[in-house]
Amino acid sequence: MSEYSLVAAVLSVVLALACYVLAFAAVRVGGRQRAGMALSRAGAGGGTVTETATPRQGTNAFATYGTLLTYLAVGFLTAALIFRTIYTGHGPFANMYEFSVAFAWGALAMYAYFERRYRQRSLGLIALPIALALLLYAIGIGAENHPLVPALQNNLLLTVHVAVAIVAYGSFTVAFASALLFLSPWRRGLPSHELLDEISYKSVVVGYPFLTLTIVLGAVWAQTAWGSYWTWDPKETASLVTWLIYGSYLHARVVRGWRGERAALLLLLGFAATLFTYFGNLFFGGLHSYSGLGNP
Amino acid sequence: MSQSVRTPTLRRAEPDLGDDLGSGLAISPTALGERLWRFFISMQTGLVLILALAVLGLIGTLLVQAPAGLSADQQAYSAWLDALRPKYGGWTGVFDALGFFSIFTSVWFKGIVVLLTTSILSCSVNRAPHLWKQAVHPRTRMSESFYERTPLGATIDAAGTAEEAASEVRVALAARGFRTMRGADAEAGTVGVYADKNRWGPFGTVIAHLSLVSILIGALVGGATGFRNENLAVAVGSTVDVGYGTGLAVNAKSFSDSYYTDGSPSDYSSELVLYRDGKQVAAQTIRVNEPLRYGGVSFYQSFFGAAAAMKVTDPQGKVVFQQGVPLVWSSNDGKRRVGQVDLTDQGLTAYVIGAASGEVDPEIRPGQMMIEVYRSASQGTPIASQIMTQAQPVTIAGLGFTFERERQFTGLIVASDPGAVFIWLGSALLVGGIALVFFFPHRRAWARIRPGTRGSIVQLGAVGRHDVTFESEFRRLVDEMAIALAEPPTA
Repeated sequence: MSEYSLVAAVLSVVLALACYVLAFAAVRVGGRQRAGMALSRAGAGGGTVTETATPRQGTNAFATYGTLLTYLAVGFLTAALIFRTIYTGHGPFANMYEFSVAFAWGALAMYAYFERRYRQRSLGLIALPIALALLLYAIGIGAENHPLVPALQNNLLLTVHVAVAIVAYGSFTVAFASALLFLSPWRRGLPSHELLDEISYKSVVVGYPFLTLTIVLGAVWAQTAWGSYWTWDPKETASLVTWLIYGSYLHARVVRGWRGERAALLLLLGFAATLFTYFGNLFFGGLHSYSGLGNP
Repeated sequence: MSQSVRTPTLRRAEPDLGDDLGSGLAISPTALGERLWRFFISMQTGLVLILALAVLGLIGTLLVQAPAGLSADQQAYSAWLDALRPKYGGWTGVFDALGFFSIFTSVWFKGIVVLLTTSILSCSVNRAPHLWKQAVHPRTRMSESFYERTPLGATIDAAGTAEEAASEVRVALAARGFRTMRGADAEAGTVGVYADKNRWGPFGTVIAHLSLVSILIGALVGGATGFRNENLAVAVGSTVDVGYGTGLAVNAKSFSDSYYTDGSPSDYSSELVLYRDGKQVAAQTIRVNEPLRYGGVSFYQSFFGAAAAMKVTDPQGKVVFQQGVPLVWSSNDGKRRVGQVDLTDQGLTAYVIGAASGEVDPEIRPGQMMIEVYRSASQGTPIASQIMTQAQPVTIAGLGFTFERERQFTGLIVASDPGAVFIWLGSALLVGGIALVFFFPHRRAWARIRPGTRGSIVQLGAVGRHDVTFESEFRRLVDEMAIALAEPPTA
């Protein structure tokens, strides 16, 4: 069941992405700047509000389908994760296959959330391929299920530690998408710099507390299993580096000369660190070598 | 962090900076002190220091790090370094000289941590009075140009008088959870309103930053007063002193390791009994995620292996040693396991040697152990080396050595960290502080109501540019106010 849901999710993501690409192409070709990609807010116009709401223009049908398909993909992935949990008897967070599906879920769910909130579908042009890549990667390595080694047998901490990390990683994917659009030299059809900066910031605001919590919970777990809250294990250190980079971004936003482009560059760096931390399981060794890959 | 841009200014002249908060640097008369203060309260400084720390962290992730304590042993360290040479080539020496192989104890790391801590403390001291003022004595009146320029602004025509409209505005704001107060006196005839919520939210930054100091204190206290022994091997049936002045001794009643059908481990557990001065004080079965904790000392399941139950008797037949000897070392070729017996009173050290598990040893057959006895003072050659068959004593240097039976040993990590309380306090404050500042942002709004040709005119303004959440809340607020203000109050 889990696999069927996963395949359905992949198809949804592919179709959603196709819709977004078509909608975006329509915007660029048709020159209707806000058609579809930037949905107008339903501006309730009581009083004489000085800021005019974005005028509502004809919404591209592809864009609407894209959004619906994205929701569908989130639904299928949620189902895949639930079936997986039932099948394995623990949170779907114990090896690289499960991490990848969960990461993709986080990226899609956070994207869907930010799309709803900011009505900017162009973010999907970046976020969806990332989610798709993670899903294909998961399918590529296969859904083999190994029982849990003793250190991982802490259902509560395993579930919470990784679930919290997934929210953080998902938010950082959105921040990355937004930063990449910010730095894009082609501006036609893309949201304004100001709006992209705001979206990046808001997604880091969501992700940062969760990353902090991930690290703290990791420390609690390390203390329980290995008797030391911090051992400079490579995965620990890499997540600290990620935390520091996003921390510097939060400070950079209020330092003159660091706003805008440089802050966006820090977000690219931050996402690189996120991926490095994430894939670190494969080559770090150390205490987090639970990838379930390459072990005899 | 979520505050609007504010160029750091020297605050030493501020009267609201209490004497105790003012720090020596701030009231220092010297220009150097001023410059240092300016340096440390600058966000740019903090930013660069954070990035520098990230770079060090990256080095620590990418380069193999020397095991803790290895650098104390010159010989072992250079051997460890030599093993790395094929990997890093000519860079090995450079990296070593720069301290990159123990980056987290290097002078770079310590220096940056000290600078960053100073910066964090300075910023907190610098910002706290400002935040306090904003929360307790907010600016309640804004200029005309604020209402004209703010992106979150509205002008609403009200039916009632300015005073009536002001109270409607306050009711609408209060309904959305705002605290409202009358604005400072403006021009005659106009009424001002100030409203805010989550005014303590910005203190999350101070809490989060100071929590990092708490974590640092925890690390320092732990380093100074704690201990950690990662290699306490206890043979089943034996009792071993914990040491470190704890007065504790731990006995392993049993050890068991179990496996899944695919051969991967499923569980390791040890039944431990803890004694203090000969009296039992605790007993528990420990597992990988279930340590035994007693009086600030914790025992963790870490590793395991084979042990040999040994008995040593003196020429009179008196037992001088009877314990399980954990075979904790491995021979260089990995084919034999070695354990040590210290016979201090006899001036001897004996090594018990067995075949590693799965190895067929031509000398040491199943049911046998080899014993090598040395004079404790001399390293050189053993005074005797013999094979022992189970339960058959051999005599060396007048002592009878008996290999009684094979056993297992359980390997424990024993740790005590009095600094941990600061770590957990700091962690809780860190998460709480960050959540506070991000999820409870300070919202402020001002209103100015002046008499109009018909009724009065309400000007509303707020700060929160490109903040979609607040923008939509503000818009709803304006809608609600517009409805409430349209009706003349039924007096």
